[in-house]
Amino acid sequence: MSRVIVGMSGGVDSAVSASVLKEQGYDVEALFMKNWEEDSEYCTAERDYNDALQVCDKLKIPLHAVNFAKEYWENVFEHFLEEYKNGRTPNPDILCNNEIKFKKFLDYAFELGADKIATGHYVRSEEKNGNVKLIKGADRKKDQSYFLHGLNQEQVSNSIFPIGGYVKSEVRKMAEEQGFNNFKKKDSVGICFIGERKMKDFLKEYLPANPGEIITSKGESVGEHDGLMYYTIGQRKGLGVGGGHSDLDAPWYVIEKDLVNNQLIVAQGHNNSALYHKYLKASNLHWILGSPPKRDRFNAKVRYRANDVPCKINDMSNTNISIEFDQACFGIAPGQSIVFYDGEVCLGGAVIDSFSN
Amino acid sequence: MYYFDHSATTPLLPEVSELINDINREIYGNPSSVYSSGRKSRSIIENARNQVANSISANPEQIIFTSGGTESNNHVLWSLLNNNHSHVVSNKIEHPAILKVLHFLSQYGLKYDLVGVMSDGIVSIEEIEKAILPDTSLISLMLANNEIGTIQPIKDVVEIAKKYNVLVHTDAVQCLGKMEVNVLDLGVDFLSLSAHKFYGPKGVGILYAKDPKKLSSLIIGGGQERGLRAGTESISAIAGMGLAAEHCVESLSEKRELLIKLEKKLKSGINKFHKKAIYNGNQSKKLPGLINISFPKNQSNIIMAKLDRDGIAISNGPACGSGDVKPSPVLSEIGLDNQTNLSSLRFSFGSTNTGEEVDYLLNKLELNLTK
Repeated sequence: MSRVIVGMSGGVDSAVSASVLKEQGYDVEALFMKNWEEDSEYCTAERDYNDALQVCDKLKIPLHAVNFAKEYWENVFEHFLEEYKNGRTPNPDILCNNEIKFKKFLDYAFELGADKIATGHYVRSEEKNGNVKLIKGADRKKDQSYFLHGLNQEQVSNSIFPIGGYVKSEVRKMAEEQGFNNFKKKDSVGICFIGERKMKDFLKEYLPANPGEIITSKGESVGEHDGLMYYTIGQRKGLGVGGGHSDLDAPWYVIEKDLVNNQLIVAQGHNNSALYHKYLKASNLHWILGSPPKRDRFNAKVRYRANDVPCKINDMSNTNISIEFDQACFGIAPGQSIVFYDGEVCLGGAVIDSFSN
Repeated sequence: MYYFDHSATTPLLPEVSELINDINREIYGNPSSVYSSGRKSRSIIENARNQVANSISANPEQIIFTSGGTESNNHVLWSLLNNNHSHVVSNKIEHPAILKVLHFLSQYGLKYDLVGVMSDGIVSIEEIEKAILPDTSLISLMLANNEIGTIQPIKDVVEIAKKYNVLVHTDAVQCLGKMEVNVLDLGVDFLSLSAHKFYGPKGVGILYAKDPKKLSSLIIGGGQERGLRAGTESISAIAGMGLAAEHCVESLSEKRELLIKLEKKLKSGINKFHKKAIYNGNQSKKLPGLINISFPKNQSNIIMAKLDRDGIAISNGPACGSGDVKPSPVLSEIGLDNQTNLSSLRFSFGSTNTGEEVDYLLNKLELNLTK
């Protein structure tokens, strides 16, 4: 019987993943990862562990625990802060999957004698002619392929995604039927180590804030910002810029961060052309199959909640890529990832560096 | 199950379990009530007090029932807040039930100094003496360490303490049933025990006080335990502890012989297949059957997980609430680097372990250890 070790977070998705695998006849064990050292009210590691323990007790499977806090800090968190310092908007969850969940965790599971690992991600995989494809989760609203686009063949082929074919409501129902105490536990949102805190409060603890001027694209001063790191391109909320600076009565959006002059540049109206860009350049290019697809047209997402939009490759090296969108695209933010799709299949992605028209 | 973690806790003796069940089923009178069912409960408790007192050569009046070793330690240290003198000498490899309490009480004015141990895990008497200040009122030093089993020279410490008119407390929770615990011989003023470490139930323990008047109440309320520990007694747990205490000091030398035999078997077996094993702490001045071994090139949590699959229970460093493993402060204190620290396993044998079980353990260790 092949042994699968499930990454057990204490949440409903990984709990149901373990129970699905058990029903399929695998020798299932669970591993709880602690990636963040903090005994604050925001950190729920102990409660999560207790939830995981109860699930494993119900399923009669062993629960192992491991602490990757040091590895997380060095490989994910330091990069996260560095990106913010550089005025970019990083996505630590992608890095966490690449560096921790599908690297350290995978290695650790192998040391424990696992044949494969499993996680509760809403994605699917499919093997064909020796290649393993990563496919969007059946639940369109929950699909997490965006966060897993950095995996390679070894990682995908050694992973099982037991709930990728289900929708969340089915997963919750299965959890309730199994009698898991966590079946109603709310989904974790945002970045794991920040928890329920506001990003701004969190960043304040780690990076010095340097307030400065907010100006319009025409150079008109319209207010003060609290520090450029708190803002993301395409962001609307929290600018504190009232009306009265223009004839239009539309909300303001961040269009650029000028690190040299410490200025936040804003434009008015969601349809403002300054928010839309036809071209982008990205680095850290990665293809799940190990090599680029044969064609140069596909769909792309420029952030997790964005729609897939058609685009084509204008130029590409092993590490860098230049993309042209069919129609100018909203809210492209350096530091976020662009992820490529061929229909349902997630092809890979890259980290956005710049955009232009 | 192959249980080799008796320093973490022990199973109930069958006769203790039976007694607890019988009492829970039949006896419910409040020991403070004067009618017959209350008197019955009271008599059960006082019988247990005698049993526990006898097991450590104390008088029954010197025994205070508590919820366990942690509370007993807290009781002694909190009592110091009422003292004019308020300095404590303790040591760096104490259990958190001493170290964290001292740290906490420092905000209320309690002062303390921690002396280190030598690389064999034993304190130096000279260091203890040097740490005594004019306002030192207590030395708190464990009788034997919970991770490496090293036995501290309590009698010598008591001799020194007398010179300076300082009281001595010892946390002896690891010791009953593994070595002689005689309060007259040791000469200590306070001693903590926990029933679940000697085949009694969890959630109950004692504090021995040579002179209970030197204590103040920690849990305040009714007049139980002569006003020193309020709260209605858990009759069955206390009775279970009494019986367990009686049993575990009975033919102590035979019990020790078994533990010594199992320990020898484990060590000679390991020496056959793992030449680089490091035995932590002084191997002659320690509790029998408690062996802490580092296996360089291995990770203790991986080994433990693999042995768990074979039904083997052993332990490594102190685990926290969410189950992850940190380097043991005790092993760091005796000079282990972090990597060696995290390769260490603690084996602690008990009265039901057999030579065949140790053979099974050796077999599985050999299969799973990287040499």
